[in-house]
Amino acid sequence: MDNKDITIRALKKQSLINRIRSLLPFIGLIAMCIIFNLLTKGSMWNSRKLIMNQVYVVLISATGVFFIMSMGSLDFSQGSILGIASIVVCLLSGKSMLLAVIGGIVAGALIGAFNGYFYVNRKIKSFIVTICTMFLFRGFIKYMASNSPVAANIKIYDYDTTAIKLGITATVLIISFIVFRFTKFGINLKAIGAGEKAVKFAGVRTDRVKFLIYVLSGAITGLAAFVNIVKNGSATANVGNQLETQILIALVLGGMPISGGAKVRFENVIVGSLLYVVLTNGLIMMGLTTQAMQLIQGIVFLIFVALFADRESLSVIK
Amino acid sequence: MNNIRLEIKNVSKNFGITKALQSVSFNINRGEIHALIGENGSGKSTLTNSLAGIYQKDNGTFILDGKEINPVNQVEANNEGISIIVQELGTLDGLTVAENIFLGHEDRFVKIGIKNTSAMNRRAGELLAEYGFDRIKPSDMIENYNFEDRKLVEIVKATYFDPKIVVIDETTTALSREGREELYKQMNNIRDKGNTVIFISHDLPEVLKMSDTITILRDGVYIDTIKSADIDEDGLKKLMVGRDVTGKYYRSDYDEEISNEIVLKVQDVSVPGLISHISFDLHKGEILGFGGLSESGMHEIGKVCFGASYDREGSVSLADGTNINDIPTAISHSIAYTSKDRDNESLVMNQSIRDNICLPSLDELSNKACLLNDKKLKEFADKYAKQMSTKMQSVNQFVSNLSGGNKQKVVLARWIGKDSDILVLDSPTRGIDIKVKQDIYQLMDKMRKSGKSIIMISEELMELIGMCDRIIIMKDGKINGELKRSKAMDENSLISKMV
Repeated sequence: MDNKDITIRALKKQSLINRIRSLLPFIGLIAMCIIFNLLTKGSMWNSRKLIMNQVYVVLISATGVFFIMSMGSLDFSQGSILGIASIVVCLLSGKSMLLAVIGGIVAGALIGAFNGYFYVNRKIKSFIVTICTMFLFRGFIKYMASNSPVAANIKIYDYDTTAIKLGITATVLIISFIVFRFTKFGINLKAIGAGEKAVKFAGVRTDRVKFLIYVLSGAITGLAAFVNIVKNGSATANVGNQLETQILIALVLGGMPISGGAKVRFENVIVGSLLYVVLTNGLIMMGLTTQAMQLIQGIVFLIFVALFADRESLSVIK
Repeated sequence: MNNIRLEIKNVSKNFGITKALQSVSFNINRGEIHALIGENGSGKSTLTNSLAGIYQKDNGTFILDGKEINPVNQVEANNEGISIIVQELGTLDGLTVAENIFLGHEDRFVKIGIKNTSAMNRRAGELLAEYGFDRIKPSDMIENYNFEDRKLVEIVKATYFDPKIVVIDETTTALSREGREELYKQMNNIRDKGNTVIFISHDLPEVLKMSDTITILRDGVYIDTIKSADIDEDGLKKLMVGRDVTGKYYRSDYDEEISNEIVLKVQDVSVPGLISHISFDLHKGEILGFGGLSESGMHEIGKVCFGASYDREGSVSLADGTNINDIPTAISHSIAYTSKDRDNESLVMNQSIRDNICLPSLDELSNKACLLNDKKLKEFADKYAKQMSTKMQSVNQFVSNLSGGNKQKVVLARWIGKDSDILVLDSPTRGIDIKVKQDIYQLMDKMRKSGKSIIMISEELMELIGMCDRIIIMKDGKINGELKRSKAMDENSLISKMV
C-alpha cells in the first residue's frame, strides 16, 4: 500500500516537472514581453503592429521546418527557398496575383523536391544536402537580383493588410496543426523521428513520407514568400538571408527537441517564433549594437538548447 | 580460507518510479559459476550492470575481495577485475575488431602519445587464435561481422585479462549451438582458474547444467541462493514466479490434420549470400517452424515472408495471387512480423506504448475525414496491451523503459490489434522468462485454433518441437529436411539435420 502511494507521488512529481518544462517557453514569452515593455517604457507595445509584421514569414516557414525536424532531419535551405520563391512571386505578380501565389508555392515545392531527392534517394544526410542547396540557390538569387532588386507589380501593395497576412498565417497554422496532431501522417512523422527502422517495419513508407515532407516544407515557404513580397514589394539579393537560422532558433526557443520524436509539440512553432521576434525586436529597441545582439542571441540559444535537448534519445541528427 | 569473492550488501536501485532493486544482499564465491535467475524485470541485469559500472546503484555496497568498489564506468570496473558481456550488442560500430577488444585499454599500445596499431592488431590476433576464433581478423571493421561473431569478440574482450568476475548477461539466447558450446567452454575455463562467472539466463536446463550456485530474484527482491545440485527445473520455476507453475507449457495435441488450404506460397526464393532456392507452403491454421543454426539463413525467411528482404529473387504470394514485395503490402494483406532484433526493427523505443501499438492500424482508426481521435487510440492500445497483460503504468509510457518480455508483449499486442491472419514470429521468446513464454505459447495455440497461420523461427529446439505442426530445418541457406509433429521427435533428430 505504502509502495503504491510513493509510486503515485513520484508519478505526479515527474509529470509536474514535465509540465513545467513544457510551459517554460510560454513563461519565457510572457516574461520577455513584460521585461521589454518595462525597459522600453511601453514603446514595444506601441509598435506591436510592426513587430507582428515580422512574425508572419518566420512563423509560416517555421511550420514546414517543424515537420522536417519532427522526423529528426534538418533544413538549412529555407532562406534560399524563400529568396527564389520571392523572385518568382515578383515576376509573376504582373500577370495575376493568383498565379504569383501558385508560382511561389510551386517554386518552393520544387526546391523541396530537389532536397528530398538527394536526401532520400541519394541517401545524403539532410543537413549536408540543405547546406549545399542553400549556397546553390543563393547563387541563383544573387545572379537575378544583384544588379537591381526584382520588383513586384505595384498592385501587390493592395494585399498588404493585416487581415490577409494574418489570414494566410492562421490558415497555414490551423491546417498544419490538424494534420500534425490528428492524422496518421503526424503520428508517422514523430515515429520516424523516434526510430525510423522500426517504423518501416510497421508498414510506413518512410522514404515517401520523408520526400513529401521536404516538398511540403518547400511549398509552405513558397507561400511565405508571397507574404514576404506583399510586405516588402521587391526581392533583393539578400532576400531571405539567414531565415534558416532564424527558424532554427525560433523552434528551439519554442522547446523543440532537435532530434525530433515523440516529445515534439505543435506549440513549439508558435511560441518559439513569437519569442524569437520579441527577443530580437526588444534588443533592437533597447538600442543594442548588432554585435551585442548576436552575442546575446547566441547565449539565449545555447541556454534553451541545453534545457530542451532530449538526452534520452541519443540518436544522431539525420 | 575465506572463499567469498563478492559481497553484495543492501544494494538498491530505482529508475524513476520503478524499484529495480530493493536492498539485495548475497555473497558470490571464488571459482564458481553463479547463476542469477528471475523473471523479466526482476532486477538481474540491473544488479550486474551496477556491478560493472554501467549503472550507478543508489544505495548499498559491493565488496570485492574485502575491498569496497564503486566503479563509475566499465573501464574502471575492468580495472577492478570485473567484466561484462551484455544482453544486446556490446561492440561498437566504426571500430576494428582489435580496437573493440582493447576499448578503454588502448594505453597499453600507446608510446609517446602514438598508438601502435600493428602491435594492437598483433596482440588481438594472438588472443583470437588462443580462443580458436581464427576466422575473425583483428584489423577488420567490426560491422563486417554478424551478431554471433561479434558476440565471440565480446567474449574475448571480456575475458582475455583474466578478470576476477565475468558477468554473462543473457548471451546464450543470441548464440547458435556452436557459439553456446564455445561460451560454455570459456565459462568452465574461468571457473577452473579460480575466478567467478555470474551467469544470467532464462534457459533453466542450461542454468542447471552450467552453474554451481543459483540465486533467484523476484521483482527486485532477493529470494534465495541454492546449490544447483539441490534443485530441479520445477523448483526453480516455483521460486521465480512465487507459486507453482501450473497448466501446460507447450501444445499437447499430436494428431490434428493440417488443412489443405494454402495461405502463403514461397517459390524458389533466393537472397544472395543468405538463402538459395527456398520453396515452401504455409497452410491455414498451422504452425510452421524453422530451425537451424543462427547462420543457416532461417532469420532471412521471416523477412522474405514480410516483404522486408532486399535483393530477393523468386516469389512470395498469397492464396489470391497477391505478390508480397514490400512491407506495406504485406501488412495490408494481413501479414505480421516480429523481428529477432526487437529493439531496432519491432519497436520505436522512444515512443509511447500507445503509438507503438496503433502504428500499423492508423488507417482503420481514422474516421472518414482521415482524422484520428486521441481517446480512440488510447482505448485501442489499452485494450490490446491489457489483453496481453503488459506490465505498465499507462499506454503513454515510453517503450524504452519496459523489460524485454513486456516489449515483446507490446509487439504482439500491435499485431493482435491489427488482427493479422499470418504471423511470422522470429525468435518470439528470445530473452523472455517462463511466465511470458507460457503466455506467448498459449496465444499461439489460440490463434492457430482460430484459423490463423504462424511461421515460427527459433533457435530453441524445444519450443519448435513443442509448438510446430511441421518443422523445416535449414542448413547453409538451404532446406535440409522437414519433420512432422510427433511425440517421438527429440532434439537429436533436429540437430542431425542442422549440422
